[in-house]
Amino acid sequence: MALDTHFKSRKDIKKSSKHDRYLSWFMIIPALAVVVVLIVVPMIYSFSLSLTNMNLLKPATTQYIGFRNYMRLFHDDIFWRAFWNTVIFMTVAVNVEFILGLFIAQLMFKVTRGQGVIRTAIMAPMMFAPVLVGFQFKWFFNDQVGLVNNLLYSLTGQYQIIPWLIYYPMNLFAILLGEIWMSTPFMVIVFLAGLVSLPTEPFEAAAVDGASGWLQFRYITLPLIGPFIYIAMVIRSLDLGRAYDLVRIMTGGGPANRSEMIWTYTYRLAITNNKFGMGTAMSFITVAVSFAFVIYLFKQLAKSRQEVY
Amino acid sequence: MKKILLIGIFVLLVLSTSTVFSLELGRFDGVTLKACFIGGGDYEKIYEKFIPEFEKLTGAKVEIVYKGNGFDIDKKMKVDFAAGTVDYDVCWDHTSFFSQYIDFLEPLEGYFTEEELKDFSPKVIQYCQKNGHLLQIPRHADISSLHYRTDIFNDPEIKKAYQEKFGKELKVPETWDEFKDIALFLSKPPEIYGTQFAGKEEALSGRFWDVLMAHGGKIIDENFKPAFNGPEGIKAATMLRDLYQAGAMPPGMVNFLWDDVAGNWVNGTIAMYTEWYGWYSYFQNPESSKVAGKFDIARQPKGDAGIHSGWAGAHCFSVTKASKNKEAAVAFVKYITSYEPQLFEAQIGYIPVRNSVFEAIIKEAEQSTDPLAKKRFELMKLQINEDFTPPPIVAEWIPISNVLYPKLQAIMLGDISVEDGLNKAAQEVEAIMEEAGYYD
Repeated sequence: MALDTHFKSRKDIKKSSKHDRYLSWFMIIPALAVVVVLIVVPMIYSFSLSLTNMNLLKPATTQYIGFRNYMRLFHDDIFWRAFWNTVIFMTVAVNVEFILGLFIAQLMFKVTRGQGVIRTAIMAPMMFAPVLVGFQFKWFFNDQVGLVNNLLYSLTGQYQIIPWLIYYPMNLFAILLGEIWMSTPFMVIVFLAGLVSLPTEPFEAAAVDGASGWLQFRYITLPLIGPFIYIAMVIRSLDLGRAYDLVRIMTGGGPANRSEMIWTYTYRLAITNNKFGMGTAMSFITVAVSFAFVIYLFKQLAKSRQEVY
Repeated sequence: MKKILLIGIFVLLVLSTSTVFSLELGRFDGVTLKACFIGGGDYEKIYEKFIPEFEKLTGAKVEIVYKGNGFDIDKKMKVDFAAGTVDYDVCWDHTSFFSQYIDFLEPLEGYFTEEELKDFSPKVIQYCQKNGHLLQIPRHADISSLHYRTDIFNDPEIKKAYQEKFGKELKVPETWDEFKDIALFLSKPPEIYGTQFAGKEEALSGRFWDVLMAHGGKIIDENFKPAFNGPEGIKAATMLRDLYQAGAMPPGMVNFLWDDVAGNWVNGTIAMYTEWYGWYSYFQNPESSKVAGKFDIARQPKGDAGIHSGWAGAHCFSVTKASKNKEAAVAFVKYITSYEPQLFEAQIGYIPVRNSVFEAIIKEAEQSTDPLAKKRFELMKLQINEDFTPPPIVAEWIPISNVLYPKLQAIMLGDISVEDGLNKAAQEVEAIMEEAGYYD
């Protein structure tokens, strides 16, 4: 039997691959339609709104104004303060939560008895609504009757009124503490899942070779749970970029815009000041920053995978 | 005596009942009115008690489709009006907010006779109107009085020291200048602060407005240009800055809202301050308050213009233009703002806006064992009729406030000078008004 009877001709292959390509496109149409309707269309619509002067109270007078909203924001001091506050807030919170989360996850991984109870207990802060955490930490840092000033008084014997929520960067620090308390458990749970899933062989081999605990952690544990770290960091970064509740309750972005964040300012512009067009423009800047951040983190994730495998 | 009292109460009840039932509401069988109301706490008691009564009287059904706090309703209504998704006939409204919604509210002047409106405080009704239209009917109001510690003001040693320093007797301040001097004098931080104000958001802009109006100043002038950066505004902001910088107000004040200032007061760390009437039972409860029985109230101080401060607001009801049952909606508003529901709310603790309700509640208070009961209602009546002055009736008040209060905070914290802070805020306010088309 001639070979060409077993194999399709080049023309046939070309034809069938073309057919497959059409079929595959056809098969993903429903998913694509969902994405277009639920994500792309609203994004395009809201982007078009960001190019208008839409005022919530006078929707009928909406006019196209090009990129004027964006230009105004770039010349707005409060926008830049909110932007840098958010970047600092994100950077510090993600890194501290990462270090603390990894440390606690390692400790919990070594626990042999009662891990279930500890795991449940450690997740408790995540169960509180951010608004409640905000009120709790606002009270902790209240200058008159707050826990922190009273604790300092008990320790030093001197009654000092430290207005934690007033002075920058103390107010940012107070908000950060609330955020870290509330969200570190998320990191712990993800890292613990990563640690549990690790193979034991590399550690056994390293132990035979005499590698210390630190070296095992540095050169085996850390690279192997790299994907977990990046996923957790991406999720937390996106969460932190949207920080609103805690800031709103603890300082309201003030005083004098000292602790303003991107979303508290966006809300102020779009809803309380009725400048919906401007608020939407600000949201788009935030989305662009978040995209850049996620792309960077995913590149790092890909790099870490290459290093491991 | 008891008999006379009982007869008096009976007559009052009959009169009040007859006032309600003398309303010509009409029958609206089969009509379902949808409502968007303020909720939470004591606000809802009136709905529970009087909506079933209204339904019985008129045959209409009332369905509350949304309940929330004032700021949440404001947000919802703005979005609903903009998107054209209003599905309610009657809505909550407020003197500070209603000018934002004027294009979407049914003018009510055609539905109410002069006779029906004459019992309301004319000052309050004046601030329910815009562009010649009556757009809301008041439910209850709020205004602040000066709260001061009697144990401090009557302390012989403090009185003597004050006499020696100022050469005059220590008494309750009648002007803002006296207020400032006394606040500075009484301060012994951290044990006692001379005074405090709520220090952020509309609460701070409003308190600034309180002092500004007393000096004869305005937030915006008749041409809608910012006017708060004139000499009156500079004097008002300077007082706030001086008191804060001198430590006569708590350092955390610029982050305080209403519950924080009330908390400080009951904690006994404040000598005097201006406060809304609504907290009274909390302040007089010895279990929650260190100042129970140790304070008195007075009319707010006057400023250089001889005007008593009177930043005030009134919760109201409006009918939406989108309503398909306007007659029934108006009937509901008439009923819910009539004598009996207002008396009921006054007995809970809200400030009525009908003078007949004031008469009744003052009479009731005469029998109270609380020494401040009668004085409170008499002072409320005086203030609601004479001092009641909401912020400017423009849709841009909240955006103006959002520009103003961070600048006031910056002034108090020393980040910026009084003149520069107010001028910068004025520039931004002018831009807001220009963008809104006031100067076209």
